Parts: sequence; structure tokens; C-alpha cells
Amino acid sequence: MNPSGKTILIIDDDADFAEALAPALEAAGFRVLRARDGHQGLKLAKLEAPDLVLMDIIMSERTEGFFAIQEFRRTPSLAATPIFVLSSLYDAVADFRVAPEAAWLAHDAFFSKPVDLDKLIQTIRERLGLNAAVREGTG
Amino acid sequence: MQQREREQAAVDCQAGAEQAPAKIIVIDDDSAICLACRKILLKEGYQVQAYEDGLRGLEAITAWKPELVVVDLKMPGIGGMEVISRVHEFDPQIVIVVITGYATIDTAVQAMKCGAYDFLPKPFAPDPLRLIVRRGLEHRRLVIESRRHEMERELIKRRFVSFISHQLQSPLAAVHQYLDVLRHLEDSPETAAKRREWLERCVKRIAELEELIRDWLTLAKAEERVLVAQRCPVDLRPILEGILNSYEQMAAAEGIRLEARLPEQACLVWGNRHCLHVLFDNLIVNAIKYNRPGGRLSVSAQPLGDGQVAVAVSDTGVGIPEKYRRFLFEEFFRIPREEGEAKPGRGWVWRSAARSSPKWAAPSRWKARSAWGPPFTCACWPRRRWPRAAGRIWSRRHEPKREDDSHYR
Repeated sequence: MNPSGKTILIIDDDADFAEALAPALEAAGFRVLRARDGHQGLKLAKLEAPDLVLMDIIMSERTEGFFAIQEFRRTPSLAATPIFVLSSLYDAVADFRVAPEAAWLAHDAFFSKPVDLDKLIQTIRERLGLNAAVREGTG
Repeated sequence: MQQREREQAAVDCQAGAEQAPAKIIVIDDDSAICLACRKILLKEGYQVQAYEDGLRGLEAITAWKPELVVVDLKMPGIGGMEVISRVHEFDPQIVIVVITGYATIDTAVQAMKCGAYDFLPKPFAPDPLRLIVRRGLEHRRLVIESRRHEMERELIKRRFVSFISHQLQSPLAAVHQYLDVLRHLEDSPETAAKRREWLERCVKRIAELEELIRDWLTLAKAEERVLVAQRCPVDLRPILEGILNSYEQMAAAEGIRLEARLPEQACLVWGNRHCLHVLFDNLIVNAIKYNRPGGRLSVSAQPLGDGQVAVAVSDTGVGIPEKYRRFLFEEFFRIPREEGEAKPGRGWVWRSAARSSPKWAAPSRWKARSAWGPPFTCACWPRRRWPRAAGRIWSRRHEPKREDDSHYR
């Protein structure tokens, strides 16, 4: 099912998080791909050319997501692919929070986990130039 | 975060620069003093520049960034006091030694108050100058070293907080996300199955979270040295027997054969009873959980004389991937789940183990048998050998003889 014609790649080592997120995105009309780490994600992205990437940061390596984002940016075919960071990184302690606008992160948006699904889907639709629409049921 | 990393890099860079001969600037309106100081300090192997007025000296300090400045207190134009305050505005770590022909207690106190490191009254012989410069540079080195340690401690603390935050939030985020989606899930036979499956996953993640919290509490106890304070003579034999008995059924269910080679006599060591129990319990239960079906688990204890006991836990399981072995003793390391693996890692045990009593031997066949679980061998020491030997990896020559290994294979 892919009424929007857009593909989203979730790169996250937490299988449960991706499992919970995927149906919500599918219900919103996206085709969803999943990868468990930055390396696998990059490989899959080169093959499938997703329209947008949802990237976790702390995976098997502490800063794997950061390096994966850099790799995406270095890869010509993926350099312009929007990347949204979804992370629980530092969120509980204000002093440790990664500034969402941090340019060095080379990402497009930052969402702290757990993610507000309506807001995430709306931002994805806006970023991909689709008409903003309220998320339909996930059933 | 970036700001701190930059600071750390600056301190590292500074430390690196300290390897080169120290740079010293001498400022004195008396050209004979300038010349003499320069000559004496050059002979000592320092890089030296000398200036006869405060303004030119300050310009050179900004451009050349010396480690130490020797400055005359009384000069026409910009005097020594002003040089001190302007230098410290520029870089508070530059050490300043004041020289003057008007040496009184008052001027010395005033110069020190302004931030001078020490005071040298004119006339002075070469030796006091050499000594004061050497002491000043050593002082600077210690200040930088101490700053670096402080920053390292700060970095570790920040990593610790962020790591705990992440470890605790990951399962919570997953559960939250499941529940959020479940709220929107319509009722149908297909979704009913999904609902059950996801609720089951939520319960598992919450149990995982509870286990994590217990682990952190144990680790906190270890870090606070509570466990050290609770050390006493402990007989390992009943601990190992008890643990093996408690996992008999679990091992049988997995088809794993348990082998115990425990000596007749007591295996007395000096340690924390609870933590030693947790340690061997974790080693043994992991050796069952991560074994292959129909595999084998061997536990042996071997008194080595001199009150030491060597304990080896060996299994025929998947082992620990090469890439993770160097992290085993890192404070907050947990081995990540591999593809298709259902059980979470429990890396914390190594750290608390190090605090509980034993010394660890490098598993002997990691390189040769990477696909197998190598024997984890540790030496538990008697009281009088503790804690001087703490933290050292047990040397290979103390490992059980090779023929003992054949028993495990």
C-alpha cells in the first residue's frame, strides 16, 4: 500500500520502536522500509532511494546515527534525501539536549522519542510536498 | 556539547605543545638584564625572546603565546603590574615571574595578588632564575594536567548521564509508541492478533526496564565502594554448587549438559558474597542462554595455593564477537542484540565484577575459537593480596594448564 507514492526508510536498532512506527506510517499512505543499523540503512537507501529517512542516533555504536547521516550526505544520490532524527538522546536532561537546529547534525528535523505520530506524519507530508492531512486510523 | 569538545581539544593541544621546548618572554627596560636572562634561559634549552618595553613585550606575548613571562615591575610606560593583568586577560595560564630592584614585601604581595606566580629580587644570580623558571613551568604543567583531569571527569559524568538516560528511555519509548498506535488500532480479527502481540512486547520491554534499573542499582553500589566495604571471607564452592543446582532444569530444557569440577576442600577467597554470587550467576546463566542446543557448560574451581582460587566458566555457545571484546570492561557497555537474537546483553556485570573481588584472565582462545564461548577465567585473591593488585588483568602464566581446557571442549 503506497497511495502517496513515497517511501520512508526507518533506521533504528530498536525493533519494537520500528514495529510500532511502521504501521502508522503505512496507514498514512507511505511505503515503509526498515534497517537495523546505519550500515544496513545506507545499503538499503542506495538500492531503494527512499524519499525520506527516519534515523535513530545511538545504535550499536554510540554515535552511529551521526556517522550514518554524514555518510548519506557524502553519497551523491542520497545527499539531498531529507533525514529526520528520532532519538531519545539527552532529552530528559535539558542541558544535554541536542539542539534541533544544530547545523552540524546535517539533518532536517529532530523528534524526541516517543514520537508524536500526528506531528511526525504532518511534518513528513510537508517536507515531501504532500497535502497536509490528519493521520487516519492505523487499522 | 561542542563547546566542551572544543575545550577538551584545546587542552589536548596545549598538552601536546608542552612537549616542545617552553617559550619564554623576558621584558625589562634594562638591556643588560634582558640579555643576561635570555642567555641563561637559552642555555637551559628554552626558546626565549626579550623586549625592553612593556608594549612590545605584550604584542609579542599575544603573537607568540609563551608559556612563561619574566617581567620587570618598574618600567617606563607600561609597567609590570599592567603587563600581568593584560597577560592574564589574554591567557590566565601564562606563568608570570616578576623581577624588580625595588623588592619589598608590599610590592611582592601586590604582584602576587595581581596574579604573578613568583617574585625575584634584583640583583639575582643565574641559579635562582633557572630554579624559579623551572618551578613556574612545572606549576603550569600541573595546572594544565589538573584541568585535563577535571574535564575528563566531567566528560565521563556527562556520558554516564546521557547513557543512562538513553538506556532507560529506549524501552519506555518503544512501549509508549506501541500504546500510542494501539489506541488508534481499529477492531478486527487481524488487529486483535497484532494487539496481543504488541501488548506482549510491551510487557517484555517493561520487564527489561525493571531489570536494567536493578542492574544500575547494583552498579551504583559497586561504584560507591559499598561492596568493597562489605568484603569478607567467602567460600566459592557452595555458591557455585547452588547456582548450578538452580539452573539444572533450565539447562535440561535447553538440552545443555552441565559439568562441574569443584574441589573437595573449601575455596575461600576475600570478597563480597552477594556480588560474587551475582557474578557467577550471570556467567552461568549466560552460558546456558547463549549456548547452542545440546551444548555443554563447564564450571571449575581450582585452588592455586597462596590462597588464590581460579574459577573457569566455559560453554559451547556463540561467544562474544571480536569487535565487542575490547569493550567488555567498559563501565556501561552492554553487548547489543544481534540479528535474530531475542535476548538482551548484560555487559554491566563485568564492571561490577571487577569491584567484587576477582581478577580476570583474558579468555585464552578468543582468537582461535571465535565461534565458541571461551572459558572466562578469574582469580579470586586472599585478603592480604587485596587491593594492591586490583585492576590488573591476570597474567597468562597463572591460567589453568592447557590440558584443563581440553575438558571444556
